[in-house]
Amino acid sequence: MGNPLLPLQLWLDDHPVLQNWLYNLVPVLVIVLLALALRQGLKQPIWAEAARRIRRRPAALWAIGIIGFYGLIAFSDSIGLYDAKKQERVSLLDAISRREKERYYSAPLATMTTGEAFPKPLKEKHILGTDGKGDDVLYQTLKGARTAFIIGGLTSLLTIPVGIILGLLSGFYSGTKYKWIDDLITYIYTVISSIPSILLQIAFVMVLGKGIFQICIALGMARWVGLCRQVRGETLRHREREYVRGARALGVSTWGILTRHILPNLLPTVIIFTTLGISGLILSEAILSYLGVGVGDGVGSWGNMINASRDELAREPILWWNLASASTAMLGIVLAFNLLGDALRDAIDPRLRS
Amino acid sequence: MKMKTSGRLLTLTLGLAALAVVGCNNNPYPSGESNENVLFRTLTEDPKSLDPSFSYTVDEAYVCDVIYPSFYKYHPIKRPFSIMRNLGASDPVRTPLPGGGEEWRFTFKNDLRFQDDPCFPGGKGRAISAKDVEYSFKRMCDAKNNCPVASFFEDKVVGWKEYAKVFTDAMEAKDEAARAKNYDASLPGVTVDPADPYTLVIKLNQPYPQLKFLMAMHFTTPQAREAVEKYGDEYARHPVGSGPYLMTKYVPKQRIELSVNPNRHKDFYPTDGADAEGIKNGWLEDAGKQLPLADKVVFSIVKESTSSWNLFLQGYLDTASVNNNNYQQVVANSGGLSDSMKARGISLRRDPQVNVYYCAFNMEDPTFGGYTPEKRKLRQAISLAVDADEYIQLIVQGNGAKADWLVPPGVFGNDPKFKNPYRETNIEKAKQLLKEAGYPDGNDPKTGKKLVMGYDNSATTAATMQQVALLQRQIERIGIKVESRSTTYNQFQERLLKGQHQFIFYGWFADYPDPENFVFLLYGPNKKPGPNSASYKNPEYDKLFEQMRVMDDGPARQAIIDKMRTIAVEDCPWIPIYHSLTMGLSYDWLKNTMSHPIANDMAQYRRVDFKERAKRQAEWNNPIWWPVALVVGLVGLGVVPAAKVVQQRINRKLRQGSGGS
Amino acid sequence: MLNYIVRRVLYAIPTLIGVLLVTWFLFFKTASPEVIARRNLSSRAPTQAQIQSWIKGHGYDKPPLDQLQNSTLDMMRFRFGKSDATKEDILERVKKGVVPSFTIGFNSFVATVFFAVIFAAIAAYFRGTYVDTMTTVICVIGMSLVYMIYIIGFQFLFCKILKLGPTWGFNPDENLIKYILIPTIIGVVAGLATEIRLYRTFLLEEINLDYVRTARAKGVAEPAVLLKHVLKNALIPIITNTVAVLPGLILGSLLLENFFGIPGLGSYLVEAISANDFTVVRAMVFLGTLLYIVGLILTDIAYALVDPRVRLS
Repeated sequence: MGNPLLPLQLWLDDHPVLQNWLYNLVPVLVIVLLALALRQGLKQPIWAEAARRIRRRPAALWAIGIIGFYGLIAFSDSIGLYDAKKQERVSLLDAISRREKERYYSAPLATMTTGEAFPKPLKEKHILGTDGKGDDVLYQTLKGARTAFIIGGLTSLLTIPVGIILGLLSGFYSGTKYKWIDDLITYIYTVISSIPSILLQIAFVMVLGKGIFQICIALGMARWVGLCRQVRGETLRHREREYVRGARALGVSTWGILTRHILPNLLPTVIIFTTLGISGLILSEAILSYLGVGVGDGVGSWGNMINASRDELAREPILWWNLASASTAMLGIVLAFNLLGDALRDAIDPRLRS
Repeated sequence: MKMKTSGRLLTLTLGLAALAVVGCNNNPYPSGESNENVLFRTLTEDPKSLDPSFSYTVDEAYVCDVIYPSFYKYHPIKRPFSIMRNLGASDPVRTPLPGGGEEWRFTFKNDLRFQDDPCFPGGKGRAISAKDVEYSFKRMCDAKNNCPVASFFEDKVVGWKEYAKVFTDAMEAKDEAARAKNYDASLPGVTVDPADPYTLVIKLNQPYPQLKFLMAMHFTTPQAREAVEKYGDEYARHPVGSGPYLMTKYVPKQRIELSVNPNRHKDFYPTDGADAEGIKNGWLEDAGKQLPLADKVVFSIVKESTSSWNLFLQGYLDTASVNNNNYQQVVANSGGLSDSMKARGISLRRDPQVNVYYCAFNMEDPTFGGYTPEKRKLRQAISLAVDADEYIQLIVQGNGAKADWLVPPGVFGNDPKFKNPYRETNIEKAKQLLKEAGYPDGNDPKTGKKLVMGYDNSATTAATMQQVALLQRQIERIGIKVESRSTTYNQFQERLLKGQHQFIFYGWFADYPDPENFVFLLYGPNKKPGPNSASYKNPEYDKLFEQMRVMDDGPARQAIIDKMRTIAVEDCPWIPIYHSLTMGLSYDWLKNTMSHPIANDMAQYRRVDFKERAKRQAEWNNPIWWPVALVVGLVGLGVVPAAKVVQQRINRKLRQGSGGS
Repeated sequence: MLNYIVRRVLYAIPTLIGVLLVTWFLFFKTASPEVIARRNLSSRAPTQAQIQSWIKGHGYDKPPLDQLQNSTLDMMRFRFGKSDATKEDILERVKKGVVPSFTIGFNSFVATVFFAVIFAAIAAYFRGTYVDTMTTVICVIGMSLVYMIYIIGFQFLFCKILKLGPTWGFNPDENLIKYILIPTIIGVVAGLATEIRLYRTFLLEEINLDYVRTARAKGVAEPAVLLKHVLKNALIPIITNTVAVLPGLILGSLLLENFFGIPGLGSYLVEAISANDFTVVRAMVFLGTLLYIVGLILTDIAYALVDPRVRLS
């Protein structure tokens, strides 16, 4: 398969500085768009109400704070400058937290390497020690944040449009004369959701190869069906409501009904589904890495760190810091997304309000 | 109500705990087995097949080689490596033939029998003749069996190719009958002497001194045609051999059990070959006893080194190897065994292996391949940046000897005095050479960018990633950039086949201790998809190789090997890194623990003091129960306040209820 | 009822065919036959003739559509053929692997649901108190840990430090408890958090309904309300959701069997993945899907039996 963007890619490779600024633009755009969406959303009464409820829950505020903190790290790792001398891109995070590469493992704050026959002195202190490649564990852990956000974010970005569009169409045409659309979509998602998701993900990564984007596609493939099913159900529910019937009676076009009347009502479902899903996606990355179909090396990955720790725990003395840092970092972000998802669901979904 | 619910919960918890106590100990074997005369060993991978015509990996050979003996076997103790007769009755007779070829006559013992198996009439193992070895050679020709050493014979045995073609054609035509019929036809180069049914005659169109080594491999074992035909594909898991052991049980991915073969030929523990140290180790204490010494061998298939290490420490394995993970625990700073290990009765052995680990450039790559002086200098510069000592220390924990060229110590052709001028670590010189190659400081003057070298690998485990990162760091010291191209194993192989790679890391393990088996890795016609992974092709080298491979060991052969070395060192298609060394641990209840880097039939020589083993296993593996009891107790304590709340609520409800109505 | 079951089963067939199409396409695209051949031939560089004969012998030279048709038909009839790597009959191997996988899977399944209901009931009963809060907090943390952490942690603790069970191994002829107890416990603990939280919501939904309030107002004691009314009605969503545990069990089987060296279907699949034995991977994906679909059908039937509102027509 040829890559249609290859010429552009090659041209950009020859203009590294420009390329760097383009790369910097992406995270900034993401932030701006998120902020805009949030501002726009908060103007609407239900969302303002939801925001008020969330503000009253300390756990949710903590969760937002933690996500913000991780987001900041990920953001700082996404923007950077091009170092012409070394001919590589140095992110803000690299500039701040990159440490000297050592020879080998070393314990947190140690002065000598550990695990080799003749320990050698270290070049500098490492707060969380170094791993087998001699990389600073703290730095590696921070690097993982960006991967986690890309996996969570990009997968959701791939999933949401597919899930919404197919779910909407399927729900809307169910039982009408275009029933075949519904049948087809339902058939596709039944097939995909019948394959246990871990098996499907493995199969996809085996086909696409290792790498962060490939993983996103594989995860997204297994994930859109869940959203599609929920959206279809919601659409079915809303389709029979008075306001939709009314709109139809008034001669509003199908497109208008879908986008203006049904779609806004689906947003709560979509947002809850996405927030709660992100934690699962981040966890999946670790599992895929263990099975040997992960993001590969060269990218910060908590999965790879946890994977390495199997051997490290068997060592004597135990090398615990890699596992501890990666799993704590992972626990933090996943926990935060779980808490936020819960809070959102409680705030938006009136059925579950206790 | 209160008592009932919490009472039930409590009973359940206690019941589960009791159930757990009954079943628990951490012995992974069937009960009582530890008390038998059994060797406990591990395989790191499930054998794909135990078909002696196909098996090739070390793990497969550990099982295969004690079931399928051949004409020769390796002397278990003697150094340098030497082969001795096993099934052979007398030494082979080698006579030159007109036209440059030669003839070998192998006479087998006349009292050999197969193991008992339902495939024979009456289930009794039948007598073996040279016909059964001839059959093995025919099986090697059959492409369906995918014999990995077939290419060794292909161009040497008379009539091999024509005979093999019948099989290939039959397969193309999907004609099973024709394939089966071909086994009745004769392979001209391998026949049974009409005068003596125990003599095999092999005719070659060129001298082939290495044939003796191939007659020590399981590919040339006698095989029973009845068994192959009866079991079909299942022959791979149902071996029928004539060796010291026979297989009694095979649970795939789990366990292989071997027991003494009552039909084995009489074979005895060697009475010579040990040096002073060997005698001190007691390696000749069992001299003259009939083999094998242990009644049973149990192979447990354990993929994870962590798990096998735990099993070893618990006393459930007799031996273990030292790797990165347990190195610190095992080896004291002095390099000897640590005190904690000594206290457990463990001893440590270091044994050099017959192999070579190396990095190879793709000689067909436009940037890093090629034979011009600039390209040579580029490769030499990179070679100078790779620090083998650091590699050996960090990646294999010092278990290796730095390699200056391909041929490892212990094999003829290795020159211990030789120092490869490009295998020292000299960054200054490397930078100088890089400059001369046209890349000052690693920059490509044409593009103004850094020179980038792709390092193809299929690293998935932490250890392999670590290895990639180290080579990357070392080479980048001279200014060029190394890009790790980590792909799946499939994609890696595909890239290699298509020659899309630039730089790879590989290892080679010898089939037999002859230099030919190493220097052929750079022989032009062996280029990819053959074993020449660098696709190196130098006509001069190739010519010398063709000369040396038919020669017997001696100064003339050494001189040619030295010449080949000089050529290949200057061309620098490879960066040889190290010859590995295994560090083996064994408990003192295991005797005759010598190891052999090429022979895989060592299980038959081991003796085990199983009473001592059982005693210590019991001593070391007392389950610790108090934390579980503690947790159960805490849960029990938690029930009390909860029960109180329940009680209170019921009372309240009752009061409200009676008050309300 | 029979009518309903038959129809439900018939619906599953097109789904299965779809799954076969998807997996076949995925694996056919993964690697060229030559690479598969090399991978499955001996580790020594094979000759071109050997590779060609392997490809022919395994039918990889046929046109893709023929291959698709043959393999789909074979799969539907449970003729999985022989493994590319070992020439072993896949069905035979699956039969052997079912015992350990099923023992661990079934036990974890039952124990997970059982304990989850108990803990959820406790949390629901003590709703609003510290017990409930603690349960929720522990559950959310539990959900946020990756599966491997459970395995690594528990294996380290139970097998290495406390020596309560073998770190590795399995022996079908012996007391199974010894080998499967710790993996099962890990499977249960790892799956518990999600289930407890889910069941707790089901219970709370019921608790707030009118009939429960009425019962309470009539003076029925709280535990009795919970057991007799709430739990009984909450069983419907619980039953329909048990099938959601299945993918977790499959994942558990993949990881647990691999860590504990249990020769079940999960470790068979992991080995097949690393050996690129596509015939096996395909067969296993098919079986996993089949299992899941059967689970779904059973759930639907159970649902129909429990809930009179479901129309069977």
